[in-house]
Amino acid sequence: MYYIRKMRSQFNSWALLSVIFSILILLPALLIMVQLFAESNENWEHIKEYMLKNYIVNSVTLVSFTGLFTVLIGVSAAWLVSAYKVPMHRFFKWGLILPLAIPPYIGAYTYHGILNYTGVIQTSLRNQFGIKVDQKFFDIMNIPGAVFIFTMFLYPYVYIITKSFLENQSSSLIENARLLGKGSFMTFIQVVLPVSRAAIVGGVSLVILEVFNDYGVVKYFGIQTFSTAIFQAWFGMGDIYSAIKLAGTLMFIVVLILILEKVIRGRKQYSYSTSKVRPLQPKELKGWKKFAVLSFFLSLFALAFAIPFIQLLHWVYMTYDVILSAAFADLIWNSVFVAAVGSLLIIMVALIIANFSRLSKGWTGKFFSKITVLGYSIPGAVIAIGVLTLFLFLDQKVISLYEWLGLEPTLVLSLSISMLIFAYVVRFLAVGFNSIESGFDKVGTVFTEASRTLGMSVTKTFFKVDIKMIKGAIAGGFILVFVDILKELPLTLILQPFNFYTLATKTFQYASDERIHEASVSSMVIICISALSIFFLHRVLEKEPK
Amino acid sequence: MFKKNLFTVVTMVLLAALVLAGCGKSNEGASSNNNDTKKEEVNLYTSRHYEVDDKIFADFTKETGIKVNLIKGKEDELIERLTREGKATKGDLFFTSDAGRLHWAKDKDLLQSVESETLNKNIPDNLRDKDNQWFGLTKRARVIVYDQKKVDKSELSTYEALTEDKWKGKVLIRSSENIYNQSLVSSFISLNGKDEAKKWAEGIVKNMARDPQGGDKDQAKGIAAGEGDVAIMNSYYFGQMLNSEDPEEVKVAKQLSVFFPNQETTGTHINISGIGVTKHANNKENAIKLMEYLSSPKVQEVFAEANYEYPVNKEVEPSELLKSWGPFKEQDLNLSELGENNADAVKIMNEVSWK
Amino acid sequence: MFVQIKDLTFRYKNSQKPLFENLSLSFKQGEVSVILGESGSGKSTLLRLIAGLEVPSKGSILIDQAVMNDTFRFVQPEKRGVGLVFQDYALFPHMTVEKNIKFGLTKMNRKQKQARMEELLTIVGMEDYASRYPYELSGGQQQRVALARAMAPNPSLIMFDEPFSNLDSKLQLQIRDELQEILKRTGITSIFVTHDEEDARAIGDRIILMNNGKIQDEGRPEMVLQKSKEKLSLAYV
Repeated sequence: MYYIRKMRSQFNSWALLSVIFSILILLPALLIMVQLFAESNENWEHIKEYMLKNYIVNSVTLVSFTGLFTVLIGVSAAWLVSAYKVPMHRFFKWGLILPLAIPPYIGAYTYHGILNYTGVIQTSLRNQFGIKVDQKFFDIMNIPGAVFIFTMFLYPYVYIITKSFLENQSSSLIENARLLGKGSFMTFIQVVLPVSRAAIVGGVSLVILEVFNDYGVVKYFGIQTFSTAIFQAWFGMGDIYSAIKLAGTLMFIVVLILILEKVIRGRKQYSYSTSKVRPLQPKELKGWKKFAVLSFFLSLFALAFAIPFIQLLHWVYMTYDVILSAAFADLIWNSVFVAAVGSLLIIMVALIIANFSRLSKGWTGKFFSKITVLGYSIPGAVIAIGVLTLFLFLDQKVISLYEWLGLEPTLVLSLSISMLIFAYVVRFLAVGFNSIESGFDKVGTVFTEASRTLGMSVTKTFFKVDIKMIKGAIAGGFILVFVDILKELPLTLILQPFNFYTLATKTFQYASDERIHEASVSSMVIICISALSIFFLHRVLEKEPK
Repeated sequence: MFKKNLFTVVTMVLLAALVLAGCGKSNEGASSNNNDTKKEEVNLYTSRHYEVDDKIFADFTKETGIKVNLIKGKEDELIERLTREGKATKGDLFFTSDAGRLHWAKDKDLLQSVESETLNKNIPDNLRDKDNQWFGLTKRARVIVYDQKKVDKSELSTYEALTEDKWKGKVLIRSSENIYNQSLVSSFISLNGKDEAKKWAEGIVKNMARDPQGGDKDQAKGIAAGEGDVAIMNSYYFGQMLNSEDPEEVKVAKQLSVFFPNQETTGTHINISGIGVTKHANNKENAIKLMEYLSSPKVQEVFAEANYEYPVNKEVEPSELLKSWGPFKEQDLNLSELGENNADAVKIMNEVSWK
Repeated sequence: MFVQIKDLTFRYKNSQKPLFENLSLSFKQGEVSVILGESGSGKSTLLRLIAGLEVPSKGSILIDQAVMNDTFRFVQPEKRGVGLVFQDYALFPHMTVEKNIKFGLTKMNRKQKQARMEELLTIVGMEDYASRYPYELSGGQQQRVALARAMAPNPSLIMFDEPFSNLDSKLQLQIRDELQEILKRTGITSIFVTHDEEDARAIGDRIILMNNGKIQDEGRPEMVLQKSKEKLSLAYV
């Protein structure tokens, strides 16, 4: 009886919608997992004997070093930006987020283009100064090179989360440490690092997930990792069994990392309550310190954004007359269209599940909130195939319906853009959900409760109060998802409908034919749209009530 | 007040998206399901991404009134997609590079046999499937390029010779993940047997100038940079470099020369990009029309020349550039065999630790 | 009896022991009751249960003869017609004072809403602040707006969760007197939760002494507080 009553008290339509969405999100993954029972074959033995160790070593090396360096760079940049004032301070605050606009695979193409034998550096050394250099020093297509690429284009995840934590939540602690006579360095080591531990872990776990799931960079650099192995086993050997074994192993590792993150972060530490925290006041820096910090910022910005950006600009100049055409406007439109619709849906689903999960006090809500993470832990290509399988299955089920309606019994569902967008929702729901969940965390439930005692139902409260109180988080989540979809590649490639190209797929088409210069125009547009979005994100975060 | 505006913007975007989703559907080409006016069309899954392809398809539409709808993707994913879609597929044609991959599509029962006199006349036997399930449309050779200053042409003879100690630390070649190398090894399995092929792969790994990295063009650049003396690459990449919009790439290519190996013995390894009709094609007739069009002399000329490839149609002469490299003897092999041996080739390369 | 609580059992999901076990308690119409207890004694939770913000595992709650919850039923908080003034007021930060007060007035037309809003602002003495945002108000002013907002829909019962805890002591006295005056004037049934004996004595018609989820004593302020003092001094002896 108690449970029935409890269910009743838990606003049925929200629970129902959450259940439906969760099942929709689970289905593609389940359909793939079912294949685990497909017959095993000798490939798995072959993979185990000759390759598995290599995959593990490479993946772990990439992840650990990238993790380490993104923390070092991201945290120190966040600390320096929030605690000190240097020239161009306001610019660096968001300028240091900009590298997020460059997808790592484009970063990799570009850096290889800069550094290789016909790249700008070696060319000018050779032609201007007659210096021919040892290729070893300019070789980026190896593990250290990949770590460099990942670090440069992923550190903003750590930076952005740590910075907002330091700016908004830690002022009293840091000011106390200063008053107690601690120097900057000691304050950093003894206070900043420990208190922002949770924020750092939050950021770095995103980095780790990105690295684990990256396909573009490692494929281009010829590094064999879990994700290339999944592709090779599945698409190269046609061995779905081995591919799923590998994907399963990867998922297991990822889930482990996510659990670890939750444990370390322990919810409460992540954000102090809302109203009474003052923002940290940055201190003016003088003398050599000013120049040291300034040059750190400048070189970071140069390496992670300006240099690749300028190189791409040069290539655009070389090729734009061939590439730019009326069809190019379609590309932009397609990309923005799917990204916008995908992001809107994700935000909607995330809002529903997050609201249900926070208001229901039992384990059910928490369970649903965990499901959202699933898609983020599975490689895009695997999701794509899962989604394809699901839609084909649905198609078969409704074939009789088609016939009854007198329609041609073909893939009406499967080829439409809706399949692609659905796959985006599965893949990136976690990104939007995290943003919205942390928004809800910040405001707590008291306003909702106030509204309900004033006679508003859960749904009315949601529209009149809840949504308006987390506007910032909603906008932030939307932008992050938008940028992610804009950059997404493997999933889009598999599920694209006929005659439907996006900026990312166009970039891929050129790059896969080793025509990096031609790929620059679409890369450039991706970067510019992302950069604009990131600028908006920055504005949103700045204006959000502290 | 920025926030308020932003919120309005978001709401407006939502509305706009809903409206546009409606519009978006109507220009979706193949997926539109208005059956009242059945359009003449053919749906193509392709892993080739050259602008000239688009132009040729546009011409085809102009001549025949048949609209060509495209999905451009990666080879292996397209195959997986076709497999999953099965009977329900909308794809009529599958177009990709490398006979190995085409054979694999055939092996997975994704293609069907086509009887067309035009195709049989235009495309030589060895460049199409034994059962006419796929047809080569352009031809490329996997050649040796060498540094004009460091290597004399007389030092080069065969692929096998590159495994000799003389070339230790001087051979540049890309990773074994790449289908071109897999097909190269497959061809050796056919011609010389598994053991010899493995010996060759071992020898190449031993003589590599560096761990395999980058694409074919990066191997050529490696020579220019002094990392190695000879490289194995596809002929059209060399053509692309000679005509690059980047003057530095042109400079690199000009330092190098092309050599066709195994002229006295088994012949130079060739491969194709080719096309086949899918098993469950809805527009088979149109698909065949398009294939015949692509193999016709007029199209072959443009088609091959645009990517510095050799036309498969014997009536058509290769471009001036390719002619300047001279005629050469090809491996005498039905390219189907490349696919049949692919799995063994991959295993051999893994076993000899060819990265 | 206006509010009747019978055999109420409640347990927070992350604790082993129930906070309330078979708690029974009632409140008279028009009376100002004070639940007095240390923090953690369960007094705020009791308010939340009456308001419907928590779901009890057993027992029943009746307000004005109507069943709010028992074994089979659970009336949603928005349907209970109960006003609650939260500890830190929970004024909606994105709405002006005017909008905050009008928030609960769902069944009125615009004119009625305006009139009711103005009426309440007059009662709490905040006529000039209608267009301010909550963050532009002092603590005492926010308190008054929160009261006005809770009273606006004309609830049959109004409850206060530690209403003075965020005010400085001088303001506390002033607001307390004002509040008492307003409640007397409107004759509304009200329940206060506080840990401050002085507040309890000053404002309550009746005091319920709560400790560890159990009612230790209840009755008129002087008596309850006298007894608890005696107990205290006895403990010292």
